[in-house]
Amino acid sequence: MTLTSNNSPERTEVIYGSENVLDALLQFVFKSKTIDSCGDSRAPSLIMEIKEYGKLLIELKKRNIKIRYITDISKDNLGYCKDLMSFNMELHHLEGMKANFSISDSEFMASSTLSQEEEEGEAQQSSRPIQQVIYTNVKDIVRQQKYVFESFWNRSIPSEQRFKDIEEGDIIGSTEIIQIPIKTKELFINLVKKSKEQVLLLLPSINAFFREERLGIFNYLKESALKNGINVKILTPTNDIIDRIIQNIKNNNNNNFVIQCFENTSTDIKINTITILVVDSKESLVIEKKDDSKEDFIDAIGLATYSTSKSTVLSYVSVFESLINQIKLYEQLKVHGKMQNEFINIASHELRTPTHAILAYSDLLPHHPEKRDEIIQGIKRNATRLQRLTEDILDVTKIESKTLNLHKEIFDLSDLLSSTIDDYKNNIEQKDNDNDKFRLLYTNINNESLFVEADYHKITQALSNILNNSIFFTKREKRVGEVYVTIERKKVDSKEIIVKIKDNGPGIDDDIFPRLFTKFATTSTKGTGLGLFICKGIIEAHGGKIWAENNKDDQGATFAFILPLVYSGSNNEYLKE
Amino acid sequence: MDDEPDITYSFKIGLEDNGFVVDTFNDPELASSNFKCDLYDLLLLDIKMPKLNGIDFYCHMKKMDNKVKVCFITASEIYYFERITKEIFAQLGTKRLFRKPIKLDDLVNALKKELGLIYSNNNSNLKN
Repeated sequence: MTLTSNNSPERTEVIYGSENVLDALLQFVFKSKTIDSCGDSRAPSLIMEIKEYGKLLIELKKRNIKIRYITDISKDNLGYCKDLMSFNMELHHLEGMKANFSISDSEFMASSTLSQEEEEGEAQQSSRPIQQVIYTNVKDIVRQQKYVFESFWNRSIPSEQRFKDIEEGDIIGSTEIIQIPIKTKELFINLVKKSKEQVLLLLPSINAFFREERLGIFNYLKESALKNGINVKILTPTNDIIDRIIQNIKNNNNNNFVIQCFENTSTDIKINTITILVVDSKESLVIEKKDDSKEDFIDAIGLATYSTSKSTVLSYVSVFESLINQIKLYEQLKVHGKMQNEFINIASHELRTPTHAILAYSDLLPHHPEKRDEIIQGIKRNATRLQRLTEDILDVTKIESKTLNLHKEIFDLSDLLSSTIDDYKNNIEQKDNDNDKFRLLYTNINNESLFVEADYHKITQALSNILNNSIFFTKREKRVGEVYVTIERKKVDSKEIIVKIKDNGPGIDDDIFPRLFTKFATTSTKGTGLGLFICKGIIEAHGGKIWAENNKDDQGATFAFILPLVYSGSNNEYLKE
Repeated sequence: MDDEPDITYSFKIGLEDNGFVVDTFNDPELASSNFKCDLYDLLLLDIKMPKLNGIDFYCHMKKMDNKVKVCFITASEIYYFERITKEIFAQLGTKRLFRKPIKLDDLVNALKKELGLIYSNNNSNLKN
């Protein structure tokens, strides 16, 4: 093999067959003083596992040929890379290295075999010799390829450092800029597909949502969440159309799949120029939006930054989490604001209606002496209504500021119940004359006196609120209405009294059930929706509990409250006092 | 029509004193079944009522009698109806939404204007 390379004519050829390739390699390495070479992440194992290549390395070492080699060092090929080091080569790591070529002083060889194998799938991945190389000694090409190698070399890091990172379990990731939109799109889809635990996705604009929808990202993520339990969170600006699409996508009770919407106009969220994708808290892809008007993903995007660097990726995770929290807080504020508006509206309606009636009646009174009594009744009725509303609003304020003053005394709760119910019965008889259409019943189950230490008027007020409610709704039904009140101890010898108000009305709406005891919860157009809120406040201020449920076996609802018992009637202690 | 009997009762007396002939209803369903075509010149409707609100009620009635005029009255905050006043009222051709409380004289004048019984820039009670 006495080749005088300087004098060889320029040629470029493809060499086929593993033996021919090996021959060419031998010639290539033995006439070089230096060799620069790169290989993908599988190249180290290929070199070390194939005997002929091993021999080649031994030969190179003997001849003291200077070798620089770049590959993608990972956990998987760490052992092979260390073996390579023992052959006197200067080994560097470059994340994602895919090229396979070697350059000597005057020649260039590239192998395409490795990438072919890759395409053939995993079954073919066992090491077999290179089947095909491209050879050239054309000076210009060699010079260009040297330049390529040098630029790789300058970006790579020494293998020792990489070994250390891997062994210490702390792989310092890298960040790269992707300028080609097609690549960004591929990477975007691949990242979504390879997610194992979590996907966070922030979209910058309404149009971005539509672009990603066309890519099928949302349906894919929904499937992942459903089938593989991947935790998916998507943050997106919204409008009416998107709201509807999201309703369709959501449509099941999957906690793993969250789409949180925000209104770009009203929130302080100013991230409207980039898409952020974070997968498994390990990889992030941030894509700049170049032209939002474009329909296609590729046309709309500009530069992208892909990172596996821990601190970068985790920063994006925390940016994402804080945004979601901010949006949730903002929504709560909106709900609060809505409730306040609702209060103003209900309160104004309830204040103006009786005010109007009183003013109108007062105007009419002088002109209609014959209707005097009727008009005065009307004024009184509406003034009472105003007074009640005023009291209610004051009560709510006191309950909310926890300044509800209780004037406690000891009294028999069963007494209060029976006299209140007698009053109601008399009222109903007087007013409606339809006694046969409505029944109000009361039973003291164990027929014992049950003493409480409580504010008599407040407890009466709470009871009346519940009774009014039950009677109002029960009377609206066509069948014979029935409200049945019972009192007893929760258990024998229990220190708690339980009062139940059971009706056969329409039952409690599913809509209102969760907020039954909150302010302004009402399904009727009359009333403020404050009554049950006040009841709850009063009962709880006495150390009691209140709740409601729809009757299981028949129609209607049951309201119940518990108050602490002080003495029972059979207990002489009270009598002694 | 208003679900509050005190309101309808006081309106009835007050308007009758001013020469109107008035039927009142407190239940929209009852009102709708008792509605007679070509009998009424104007409907004065509360908006917030159980079962059927005043606006929906009017939409039904307009199908039966498209000549009848309408005025709405409400005790709610006007902003609650901002959307309604802009969109639906424009659609219905309704111009008047009164606020409770309203003085009888003001109501009478406004209704007369609406019915074309007095000119809008004349404050005196110029009856036809």
